[in-house]
Amino acid sequence: MEAGFFEKIFQQKRMGFASLSPQLTVISHNPYFLEFLIQPGRPAQGQPLQVLIPETVGLENVLEQIAAGKQVFFQLENLQREKPGKETLFFHLSFYHTAEKAAPLFCLLEEVTATARLRQQIIQQMNEIRLLESLIAARREEISLSILGNSEPIRKIRATIEKLARVPAATILLQGESGTGKSMAARMLHHASSGKNAPFVEINCAAIPETLLESELFGYEKGAFTHAIASKQGLLEEAHGGTLFLDEIGDMSLKLQAKMLSFLETRRFRRLGSTAEKEVRLRLLASTNRDLDELVRNGAFREDLYYRLNVVKIELPPLRELGSDILEIAISYIQAFNIDFNKKISGLTAEAEEKLLRYRWPGNVRELRNAIERAMIFAEGERLDAADLLVGPAGPGPEAAPAAENFRLPAGGMSFEEIEKKLLRDALKLAGGNQSKAAKLLRLSRDAFRYRLEKHGLPDG
Amino acid sequence: MFGVGKTSLVRRFVYDRFEDGYLSTIGVKVSQKLLPPIQTGEGKFGQFNFLLWDIEGFEENSPQLSNYLVGAAGALVVADLLRPETIASLPAIINRFRKAAPAGQVALAGNKIDLAKTSPETVGELERFAAESHLPFLLTSAKTGENVEKSFQVLARQIAQSGGR
Repeated sequence: MEAGFFEKIFQQKRMGFASLSPQLTVISHNPYFLEFLIQPGRPAQGQPLQVLIPETVGLENVLEQIAAGKQVFFQLENLQREKPGKETLFFHLSFYHTAEKAAPLFCLLEEVTATARLRQQIIQQMNEIRLLESLIAARREEISLSILGNSEPIRKIRATIEKLARVPAATILLQGESGTGKSMAARMLHHASSGKNAPFVEINCAAIPETLLESELFGYEKGAFTHAIASKQGLLEEAHGGTLFLDEIGDMSLKLQAKMLSFLETRRFRRLGSTAEKEVRLRLLASTNRDLDELVRNGAFREDLYYRLNVVKIELPPLRELGSDILEIAISYIQAFNIDFNKKISGLTAEAEEKLLRYRWPGNVRELRNAIERAMIFAEGERLDAADLLVGPAGPGPEAAPAAENFRLPAGGMSFEEIEKKLLRDALKLAGGNQSKAAKLLRLSRDAFRYRLEKHGLPDG
Repeated sequence: MFGVGKTSLVRRFVYDRFEDGYLSTIGVKVSQKLLPPIQTGEGKFGQFNFLLWDIEGFEENSPQLSNYLVGAAGALVVADLLRPETIASLPAIINRFRKAAPAGQVALAGNKIDLAKTSPETVGELERFAAESHLPFLLTSAKTGENVEKSFQVLARQIAQSGGR
């Protein structure tokens, strides 16, 4: 074989090699070995390996083991070498034991820049996706666990929650209009007062039928009723050591109210179909958007349960009473949806701010969130503008906008037909003759609106 | 863990530079930095020449990881204060390091504090973990430079006090 045959192969395969003494100095090497050195101009022969390739600092023990033949092989993958004006070089560094006494170590450097770049691209994409998912999850949790705003009512709520967090056993009633954040306040109370892994169990009493609610709450034994083919633990047991949140408790039946009262007084209960009592330790939070005082007066809610729940009451204010907090909340949603929709909306225009501040927000924070989400989907400007925000009309102000419950029928009565006609006409006028918008103002579908126009023989524009 | 800011911390520490954007590290990049003299004990001062291994954010069980850790005198283990799961993965990473480098010292850095001022829960979680594990820790920001040099000094002190190189 011609002299330098292997040299050529190593060169072509972009591999450098060196034989090393037991003291880890370079005895001989091929020319390509120099490509991997931090300072390639220096002669390598006779130099300590650690000076030439600093990645070997700290590997003395491993290399001694290989030199002594106690370990066959060691490899470091994808070491990087940056050279001024050149692309970063990637290489694998491997050590092998040889049988030669004077040179018991063989060091191989294999350039793998192309493969490393491909790997970098794949990992980059994977990690970017994982980072984004992780940031979205964290931001969601942060939003779900923070009551934003600096208005007086919000400051009071925050202070109350902080106080209550130190009294883990108290039963708390959360009252407020729909969409005011009762569920969020319940979660905040839970997180502030319970350990990280303590359960938070939530059920909406208005969403499921009475019999199902009973078995969901108290659980049942096998055979307790027709479809009870196996025993099931109820939510009271699931919430043991944590929090049970009964949303819309005003919709609970009187029979179930009696059972809940008994549980609240004794902290004991029986699964359906069981005679054995169980005891659980939990914090009970209840919420309602209904006037419990009135329900008590009407006999629809047990007075004794009301007093039991009403030990501590937190009133969640409607959004329209929070003043400029509305803008802070809107901005936090913009930031969250920027992540979700990969957008870079920086905030609100002055007109958009005014529109948000003047609207009554009957659906409260939930409605604001939806309005921002919808606007973010379609917005194309740098900031959200008034036109992007499809909310109800910017009326003359909260005080002047009458809520349905404030409407009083005059003692002498009045014509329903005339009232309906006037509402239809006013809505069309406010909407500039646009039927869809007018229908929206009256919370009607477009078809229902048109039907009523026809019924009253009103012009449709 | 990937994306916690290891490369940014090294870049800030060695070159006093910060670049926005994320570029995942492949393998390892070694750089050097000579620390100013620091007090390592009562009346004792020492100067450290750090050979820093900025390593890829491997999965905890990656077989290649141990080879990078062998022979290290210390590790600055970094968590991302915006991602609680990076704090949860610290015990496994530290165990892995201690297996590969039994004499190595460990310090913790909770990075991205400039963005995490509003996440006291995550910061608290790292504080608790550091206290339970008896490990020194600092809240850092590669972006602003906050506590970056200090966290390497803390690690240097740990190494010196343990009699390491």
